[in-house]
Amino acid sequence: MKKTALLAVILTGALLILSMENFPSWGDVQSPASLHLSRHFIEKSYEQTLTPNLVTAVLGDYRGFDTMLETVVVFTAALACFLVIRLPRDVCTPGLFYYRHTRTGLVVRKHDACELPGENPTFERVDSDWPPHDVVVVSTCRMVIPFIQLFGLYVVAHGHYSPGGGFQGGVIFAASYVLLAVSHDLRTLVHRLNERVTHLLSAAGVLLFFGVGLFGMAMGLNFLDYGALEGVLGMSLASGHSLGILLVEIGVGMTVTAALVIIFKLLSSRGTVTEGL
Amino acid sequence: MIETLVIFLCCAGMLLFLGGMIGILRLPDAYTRLHMAGMLDTLGLLILLLGLVLYGFLHAPMSLLVQFKILLLWGFVLVTSPTATHAMVDAGVRAGLTPWVQPDAKRRRK
Repeated sequence: MKKTALLAVILTGALLILSMENFPSWGDVQSPASLHLSRHFIEKSYEQTLTPNLVTAVLGDYRGFDTMLETVVVFTAALACFLVIRLPRDVCTPGLFYYRHTRTGLVVRKHDACELPGENPTFERVDSDWPPHDVVVVSTCRMVIPFIQLFGLYVVAHGHYSPGGGFQGGVIFAASYVLLAVSHDLRTLVHRLNERVTHLLSAAGVLLFFGVGLFGMAMGLNFLDYGALEGVLGMSLASGHSLGILLVEIGVGMTVTAALVIIFKLLSSRGTVTEGL
Repeated sequence: MIETLVIFLCCAGMLLFLGGMIGILRLPDAYTRLHMAGMLDTLGLLILLLGLVLYGFLHAPMSLLVQFKILLLWGFVLVTSPTATHAMVDAGVRAGLTPWVQPDAKRRRK
């Protein structure tokens, strides 16, 4: 089995390296990209897409399908992690589980967690390898996390005019949640953003992207034609394009954030999403 | 006058970076290296950014937004970089990493 896998990897690698022969060399003036495409994009992209930023015009408009399926790839990665790593809830996890009585501070030990109790106001879960949280780290993170999230939203919303977009903004937004889990603990993160929310969010992002595309078809235009948003709420063609790309970027951001948080939760807790790190 | 200040700040920042880099490469254990890394990341970067703000103020007074963004970055680094160093040292202490002591000091203690 291993040998077959190795053979497949070598064959694929050889094919990739062989196909590199056909690529134009770096910075070749005679390559098709430099002869027709670049000039076409630079001259025509504004009148065709009404998007002032060239990169956004290419990523969101000319290559809309590519961006959409990239989002699907991120979603599929999170789904695959969930299906492979997540332990079913009714599996008995052996190990030590600690509960602290909130009134007295008494700690109770359980040897297995065949049924994990839900929210209980008198008892509080404690990690089995629980280090006390450092006050400097906790308070700094509490102060910094809102600003990181604001910056993530800024990067998503400014994808039209400056470097950024849904993928980058989503990663920054997810990083703030990872910081929350690292500085407090995983249960704080799960309490804020439980599994149901992250799964729904990751699917909703992809559906938002598809929805914008299908809306174009419903208005009698091509799939992912942002011009369909013209006339909605009395908007001009340019602001319709702008809104379409913004909606798409928000969808990408939602999927990327949720997918990264799902993967982090699963990997850091070995699939139980109860404690870890 | 401001020109001299800009040159002084940038050179001081560069000097701190150089010293910090040598320190990271040469110092004996994790704690002392983290001390150097924290110094370089905080003090060196802050001085350098301050120099950049003054330089932009002098040469491109129209782009005040960029200067403001650099100042925001300044505040962010001022808060987060020492915290990161603190967290790493704290983790090292909790994991039981013993700090390096000078060899002859160890002998004297015996």
